[in-house]
Amino acid sequence: MIIEGRELVFKHNIPVTRVEKYWKGLEEGKIYGTVCKSCGAKYSPPQADCSLCYSDDMEWVEIGGEGEVECMTEQHSFPAGFEFLKESYIIAVARFGDFKVVGWAKDKISVGDKVVAETGKDETGVWKVYFRKV
Amino acid sequence: MRVGIIGVGCTKFGVHEKTIQELAFDAVKEAIEDADISREDIDMSVVGTSNTRGYELMPAVPINEYCGFAGKGPIRVEAACATGSAALYTAYSSIVSGMADIAVAIGVEKMTELNTPTSLAVGGRSGSYLWEFHQYGTTFPGYYAMHASAHMAKYGTTSEQLAMVAVKNHRNAAKNPKAHFPKEITLEKAVSSRYVAYPLKLFDCCPISDGASAAILASEKKIKELGKEAVWIEGIGYSSDTANVTKRSDYAGLKATVEASKMAYKMAGIENPLKSLDVACLHDCFTIAEIMAYEDLGFCRKGEGGKFVEEGRSDFGGDITVNTFGGLKAKGHPLGATGLAMIYEAVKQLREEAGDLQADLENYKALTHNIGGTGHFGWVFVLGV
Repeated sequence: MIIEGRELVFKHNIPVTRVEKYWKGLEEGKIYGTVCKSCGAKYSPPQADCSLCYSDDMEWVEIGGEGEVECMTEQHSFPAGFEFLKESYIIAVARFGDFKVVGWAKDKISVGDKVVAETGKDETGVWKVYFRKV
Repeated sequence: MRVGIIGVGCTKFGVHEKTIQELAFDAVKEAIEDADISREDIDMSVVGTSNTRGYELMPAVPINEYCGFAGKGPIRVEAACATGSAALYTAYSSIVSGMADIAVAIGVEKMTELNTPTSLAVGGRSGSYLWEFHQYGTTFPGYYAMHASAHMAKYGTTSEQLAMVAVKNHRNAAKNPKAHFPKEITLEKAVSSRYVAYPLKLFDCCPISDGASAAILASEKKIKELGKEAVWIEGIGYSSDTANVTKRSDYAGLKATVEASKMAYKMAGIENPLKSLDVACLHDCFTIAEIMAYEDLGFCRKGEGGKFVEEGRSDFGGDITVNTFGGLKAKGHPLGATGLAMIYEAVKQLREEAGDLQADLENYKALTHNIGGTGHFGWVFVLGV
């Protein structure tokens, strides 16, 4: 016999204050990473503290140009929260110079393909990076 | 100080209409009977469960109470899919520290209390939520699929070679009554199955299972005092990697496996794993994971993992018998239980109690390789008699 448990909904309030520039940047079509002014470590996604030298003196840098796809998948199953997607979706990691970025690919892509990145928001209003094949 | 395993237990993996404590109880009961000791002999209890899907959010104490260990621990540990190995290490440490003479490591997971989309959304959070799942809807099959895409592009590994891992492991599971899917599959069926996360297909993926496992450990002094036989923990290695997928240098392997195995081999005095080891339980949550593990553990050169399975080198009669009980792929992968289920299998093999699935033993040494996330945690143990 199975009984139904009481419903418990987790909808977290996530603090992004220290990396707000990244999230605001997406709305302006920009993708930001951070570089540690003390030791030069590069971070994408950005972080406000350096995990290597423990400095919090970070410089914001824009990531752009032409990237290369290092790995990808086309998702045919939909996790809770993404029911709005009606068709399979492609997630890829591409390298832009010293930074790697995750994005949804708007075109069919393979590992090794050259891509450019743009930003946009999905049907639920979440801003993100999209890749287009060059 | 040497620490030995004197008892093991493991439930059938699959869909269980039992609570997490009832399921853990079954594995603990079998382990206590196997060790031929009594519940009161145990000094410390370690409860390993990821428990990101079950209704009992703080399950260590309910499990501990139900197994009759109230007052003896519990220490709860979590290392995603490598939780069982972290539990074994914690129990081992409690003995080495001198705080306990006999300790039990329990691994348990209830994964089928949620529907599949919710379960996918939980597993999809196994990287770094804000930057991956939140924005892109990553899933656990998706993470391994990304690694598969890199391995296939770099080394020419084929869908057929991935499927060969599934066919081998299902063939073994067919003889294991404790497996979630005790049935054989054909290469054609595996290759023609639908995509879950390209390039991974349905038969490249492990099922969503409930299950529990347990191991009872004791100090060498205590084992001698009790006049018992033991399987000894001869090597331990652990490592980890970045949470963010963008912060990895390479996707065609798992650095955590490489580092953990180096540490375990050094401790066990192993220079050539294929010469020293008879059997191995590898973390094949997805078929690509077993192929990467052959390479990262040094069973073959990087990029030759596909060929390794294709040539039958990981099958019975090969260089090393891998996943004799069906692996995570066909036996099932209840996260917290998996690492200790591997220990259960390695112990059964080394005691030559594996029945139809018994591998030929030359050195009487076995390896377990347990990964949490996509190489977020890595554990390797070498056992011997």
